[in-house]
Amino acid sequence: MLSYILFTLTLGGIYALLSLSLNLIWGGAGMVNLGLAGFFAVGAYASALVTGAGAPLVIGWGAAIVVGLAAGLLVTFCTLRLRDDYLAIVTLGFAEVVRLVALNERWLTRGADGISGIQAPLKAELGTAGFNLFYLGLVAAVVAVVWFGLRRLDLSPYGRALRAIREDQELASFAGKRVLRFKFEAFALSAAIAALAGALYAHYASYVSPDHFQPLITIYIFLGVTAGGVGRPLGALIGGYAVVAFLEATRFMAALMPGLSPLQHAALREIMVGLALILVLHLRPQGLLPERIPPAPRVP
Amino acid sequence: MVISRRMLLGSTAALAGTLALPPLSLAQGEPIRLATLTPLTGAGGPYGPVMVKAAKAVVDEVNAAGGVLGRKIELISEDDQTNPEAGVRAARKLIDVDKVVAIIGTWSSAVTTAVAPLCWESKTFLATVSGADAITLLPHQGYLIRTQPNTTLQGRKFGEFALAQGAKRVFFLSPQTPFFQSQLDNITAAVKKGGGEVGSLVYDDKKPSYRSEIDEALRFKPDALVLGGYTPDTTVLVKDLYRAGYKGLVVAFGYSVNQKLVDGVPAEAVEGIYTISPSPAEGSKAYERLVKLIGVANPDPYTTQVYDETNLIIMAIAAAGQASGTAIKDNIRKVAQSKGGVVVDNAVDGLKAIAAGKAVDYDGASGPCDFTDIGDIADCQFRYEQVKAGKITLVKIA
Repeated sequence: MLSYILFTLTLGGIYALLSLSLNLIWGGAGMVNLGLAGFFAVGAYASALVTGAGAPLVIGWGAAIVVGLAAGLLVTFCTLRLRDDYLAIVTLGFAEVVRLVALNERWLTRGADGISGIQAPLKAELGTAGFNLFYLGLVAAVVAVVWFGLRRLDLSPYGRALRAIREDQELASFAGKRVLRFKFEAFALSAAIAALAGALYAHYASYVSPDHFQPLITIYIFLGVTAGGVGRPLGALIGGYAVVAFLEATRFMAALMPGLSPLQHAALREIMVGLALILVLHLRPQGLLPERIPPAPRVP
Repeated sequence: MVISRRMLLGSTAALAGTLALPPLSLAQGEPIRLATLTPLTGAGGPYGPVMVKAAKAVVDEVNAAGGVLGRKIELISEDDQTNPEAGVRAARKLIDVDKVVAIIGTWSSAVTTAVAPLCWESKTFLATVSGADAITLLPHQGYLIRTQPNTTLQGRKFGEFALAQGAKRVFFLSPQTPFFQSQLDNITAAVKKGGGEVGSLVYDDKKPSYRSEIDEALRFKPDALVLGGYTPDTTVLVKDLYRAGYKGLVVAFGYSVNQKLVDGVPAEAVEGIYTISPSPAEGSKAYERLVKLIGVANPDPYTTQVYDETNLIIMAIAAAGQASGTAIKDNIRKVAQSKGGVVVDNAVDGLKAIAAGKAVDYDGASGPCDFTDIGDIADCQFRYEQVKAGKITLVKIA
């Protein structure tokens, strides 16, 4: 039981990182990024390949961040004139492109076989149980650092400028904000965080394949951020953990229903996930911890 | 009533004593837990539910006959969602919370590769139906067997069959799967040996139409097409092939061109298609038992394999005298392939033979079920069928 809880918490941390990434770009700058799974995949593959070639882990994670940044810049560059739904569609396309490249470029990614046996840091030294505990701590620490940084960003003038762009891009630009530059930076940073989450996942699971990065994971993260509170890093963080806890809880909830076949249990779980999304949107669209908007200073 | 300190101490000690006792006496009656981890949703959704049914049928049968080692067997089923990430979460739950001794039936090769390390690290036995060659090459220390023949064998059979039908130019159409390359290599090797030529094309398995892929395939002027996909994409493919007016030989996997597909498309589109599948030993007693047990007329190879794996694991537990992944690992070959052992086709008979101290050689619904050292199936017969007037009819078993 304990190792199951450790595992769920570790995975929760990785989802929380993805949620923080989405919150920065969606909650902060108002850009809908449906390509989260793509950036997650880019980071996972980058680190798996670099460490697979013999580089130490730190270099692998560094590479994941760099490649994530580059992918973020590239996608922003390709979508400069797009907003809202159109941007969402193109980013969704990006995620699928990444998955298809991973599936078909066998020389690099080993295709549908995926890359197995990715090095797990200190696993040999710590043993399986020790490793699980160590990795939970590591992921939690990364989540804490990223959350702290994003919160600072959120409260800083930079965060305010991002929000101004989210609310009205033209107005922000009239106010002298360099909208394009903000967008580039925010998107690249968000992509880098998602890529880092991918790298953490790859070295925890020791295996990545194109099947890992189906669009479903993006939907889960949207569910998490919406439930936690769009526009507030702590809300996103809690949402990320909550979504994993909820996904696992549906397993036990479905099992409580007597007289159903395993197939019906599986269907019931999917129904519960859909229902949760609808309920959250209906009952608490602002999320558990809604965005705090400071009152405008009073002009005497 | 005033509780004295002595009374309190005494009763606390007694209470602690009773707490310490029960586990010993209860352990006897605690069920042995096995799990199925099959796709119930996602791309593998059409296959998983029947697989679970087969495993459940075996477990019910054994429980009705008194269980194994005097204990009942409990079967827990989880959904891997045909997704390695979800599969790992489900496997974690099965291993850590339910403490199952074996996991049966992982279908997608990616899910199996993702789940396998959890199994060997926790000394849980994994029996899979995935076909990718790489799976048995993982460092699984014996904690893994598969009943699906690896693709080296299957590819060769496809190539040889096409040649035997007089085809010289063979074209392989397949979605990107973990076994695409080895399948192609082995078809090529077999066809080249007979002086033929092979072309290939990888397609995306979620497209609504394959006209352009078929045009490309037909430019090769093939005498034979080998289809490597699954039921959903092959359904679209055979319809488009018919529209394109292709009249040559078509060979496909038995699990993709199944009765469901044949019933779902116009009869002309599938007429004459050959299928090859690892032969469920149809006509064998195990196969007939399975058909009767689950009430499905033509169980697919995966279902027959899950049936066999469940039987084998239960017998291995009995042969070992204890229920653990390691015990199953050490004894599964003893019940699967003991030379000169009593040949059995189900766990209930097997358990009786084991109780009588006899060696056992299981012959199952999917075949003889003998395993090599790395967990591959040692020998497998193939079943060649053809669609004739809307029915899949047997051509030969070889």
